[in-house]
Amino acid sequence: MVGGDRFMRRYFIRFSIFFLTVVTLGGCSNNKGDSRFDNYVHEAIVANVKGFDPVVSGEDLYSGIVMGQVYESLLQYNYLERPTHVEPNLADGMPQISKDGTLYTFKIKKGVYFNDDPCFKATSGKGRELEARDFIYSWKRSADPKTHSDTFWMFDGKVKGMTEWRDAASKTGVTDYSLPIEGLSAPEKYTLQIKLNKPTPLFLYYMTMTGSVALPHELAEFYGPELQNHPVGTGPYKFRSWTRNAEIIFDRNPHYREAYYPSKGEESDKANGLLNDAGKRLPLNDGVVFTEVVETQPRWLNFRKGVYDWIDIPKDNFDSIVKNGELVDELKNQGVVLTKWIDPDLTFEGLNMEDPVIGKNKYLRQAMSMAVDTSELIEKFYNGRAIAAQGPIPPTLIGYDPKRIDPYRQFNLEKAKELLKKAGYPGGKGLLELVYEINSGGVYRQMTEFFQQEMAKIGIKIRINMNTWPEFLEKTKARKAQIFGLAWSADYPDAENYLQLFYSKNASPGPNNSNYNNPEFDKLYEKASIMLDSPERNKLYQKMVDLVVEDCPYIFDVHRKPHILTHGWFKNYKRNFIILNYIKYYRIDVAEKAALRRKL
Amino acid sequence: MLAYVVRRTLYVVPVVLGVTLITFILFNIVGGNPVYQKLGKHGSASEIKILTHEMGLDLPLTQQYLFYLKQCVTFDFGRSWSTNQEISSMIKAGIGPSLSLAVPAFTASVLLSIFVALGLAFFRNSIIDRLLVVTSLGGISISLLVYIIFFQYTLSYKLGVFPISGYDTSWSGRWEYLILPGIIWVITSLGNEVLLYRTIILDEIFQDYVRTARAKGLSEKVVLFKHVLKNAMIPIITNVVLEIPFLYTGSLLLENFFGIPGLGGMTVQALANSDFPVIKTMTYVGSLLYVLFNLLSDLSYALVDPRIELD
Repeated sequence: MVGGDRFMRRYFIRFSIFFLTVVTLGGCSNNKGDSRFDNYVHEAIVANVKGFDPVVSGEDLYSGIVMGQVYESLLQYNYLERPTHVEPNLADGMPQISKDGTLYTFKIKKGVYFNDDPCFKATSGKGRELEARDFIYSWKRSADPKTHSDTFWMFDGKVKGMTEWRDAASKTGVTDYSLPIEGLSAPEKYTLQIKLNKPTPLFLYYMTMTGSVALPHELAEFYGPELQNHPVGTGPYKFRSWTRNAEIIFDRNPHYREAYYPSKGEESDKANGLLNDAGKRLPLNDGVVFTEVVETQPRWLNFRKGVYDWIDIPKDNFDSIVKNGELVDELKNQGVVLTKWIDPDLTFEGLNMEDPVIGKNKYLRQAMSMAVDTSELIEKFYNGRAIAAQGPIPPTLIGYDPKRIDPYRQFNLEKAKELLKKAGYPGGKGLLELVYEINSGGVYRQMTEFFQQEMAKIGIKIRINMNTWPEFLEKTKARKAQIFGLAWSADYPDAENYLQLFYSKNASPGPNNSNYNNPEFDKLYEKASIMLDSPERNKLYQKMVDLVVEDCPYIFDVHRKPHILTHGWFKNYKRNFIILNYIKYYRIDVAEKAALRRKL
Repeated sequence: MLAYVVRRTLYVVPVVLGVTLITFILFNIVGGNPVYQKLGKHGSASEIKILTHEMGLDLPLTQQYLFYLKQCVTFDFGRSWSTNQEISSMIKAGIGPSLSLAVPAFTASVLLSIFVALGLAFFRNSIIDRLLVVTSLGGISISLLVYIIFFQYTLSYKLGVFPISGYDTSWSGRWEYLILPGIIWVITSLGNEVLLYRTIILDEIFQDYVRTARAKGLSEKVVLFKHVLKNAMIPIITNVVLEIPFLYTGSLLLENFFGIPGLGGMTVQALANSDFPVIKTMTYVGSLLYVLFNLLSDLSYALVDPRIELD
């Protein structure tokens, strides 16, 4: 046995040494950092990107962000000024708009080329020049029933003949791109004319969106459905590689047209160094590496190690990083900067107006709205990074009234109980359990439990129903959800984007998921939708908000305030989630990066 | 032997039919409607109708199921409803990263657990044995998530021994990103396997033939490796071979936390998006692999133990 003992001891020791050597050698060769791409922007994306087809994934925020660096639209948002406004991008100046507001004439910039790609067979892979017809082709793709576009709403019923063109293609089962659309024409190589059915001032905003970008017909013909994996645009970056669910790399487009960093901004921009690069040619970096990181911990740790240039502070790390609204010294000493702003978004509980219990009883909805303590919600779930919503319109949007107070969003349990009594349910008696549908995952469950507790305080019982996202969508779109939790981020900087959520013609499966139907609201909405921004239109907006606040089809929760950390080497960070083509403005100070990374 | 193989191969048909039927029923009960998601927040009623028709979701359920079976036979699963990619190319892209993590980690965990189990069986009832048994039990009780968070924070972030997360598609570059998730895989599977293999080996170590071998004066090395291990191999092989089919989906949590673009993450994403073409492909391929490896496991008994005959 002694011999056996010795053998086993040797056996253990040898195996352990071997195992430890493998681990140590493996580890020692690591952590080289990402020096391959020092002058590249490194951005972590919190969800998986669907693809690069602008008409198929144009409405997906993260796909829109990555596409925004390669594809370009006629117009874009000003990067620095607030409130932001549209300005020319591929358009050579702002469009001429006819007096009746229905004819838009865009001149296209000359000498703009698509990135080189094998799809350009006629030029042996060399990118050809952008023409007005490229927009017509791209928008026809949006109308093509075969693409199942999620961006057709931008043109549907707005551009003359476009809906009819689509309907004809649906009927025959054949999409003929050579058939003209009455409202789209290219009288000259660099001139694009768009005829609208009625004045639509918001159309200028649509011309900044992913669904309106120019895509060459050669690309769709060459790659077919695989176009999802091969973006070819005119933008400041060209596609290098995409490892699905991991990493997307774009390099600087060496043939990018002349475009310059803005010279004007808000008053504070100069002091914040945001005008230091005024007038410099774009892009200010060599490319961008987007990393798809769904989990919070690796995203946070990689930021702390200097792998990513910026991050929205994760909820669980917030209290240890920000004290009394200020960044802790440890991070300040590492050169990290804290930036805060209010995001034009809204979180809310939707109440189905077609539901026989909730939908028919205004007092019940008002009682529920008054029973939610938003300040507690903000502290518990947002670390104070949100402001209480007083209606549907978020701050920073045209039409927002900072003085507005929603009488039914003032937490008051006594009043809520009174309203509940008026509703016919004193102390909740006689009211059946209400069902709250939520999307499973994240902190939604805890937030809904908070809502459940708040309702219990006035005697309303809530049952929480967890769903996968498709199940959740099915319930809300098929008008089966009684109460549902959602958020809406602005597509464009006008309050109309939030008011359309209450327009009866947009009821489910459209974006009006609470199925609010108020003829008076509709009348005001229709009148305002053809008006330019003016005090008169703003008055109509406020009247619409009054109606919605009184009827309570939503319980308005919060507008979120992102708290963003950026590393010291990362310059020109100024974000607004409506602006998607922002990477070209970022500058990396490579020397400062090398110095600061040593401190991390 | 041949008759046995043919018979077992025929069993594949009812098993796979059962799997496809259950998958299909589950999708239709709890899957949600993928049309709404595909069309986005502005989808109109007419667009919903058109897409529902094109996706074949308005067909009678029997017809939809038959179409599914046809796909199983032809191995043509079409494109993902969510990303519009060809499913075959999605699997091709994901299987490399998944197997690059799973195969070395699985092999290491099997070898290491057999080694530790042999050692524990040898030192049975000693302090080392008790300590490692308790450690193994403790290890099993801790969630994989805890290991990931702890090791990623300490070894990668604090000590800088490994990259925090990431993946390199090149053959030589990927390994540095796979070592830490691989170690966590080994650690988390070690507890279960050590306890199982220790029991198996202890069952053998008290057999008469072991005493006889020692009485003959054979060294402990020969007794353990030539006699005990060989006889303990049947249950070990069963366990190992039946675990192999699960390797192709990798580990969802490890893939997500370490940024490995494997099939585990892809499958969970498909579940979240009601991407039925991907779900059905993964379940179908998974069931085929399971049945195949079950058969291989049975066949391997005969190879390891000549006393076993398959008929």
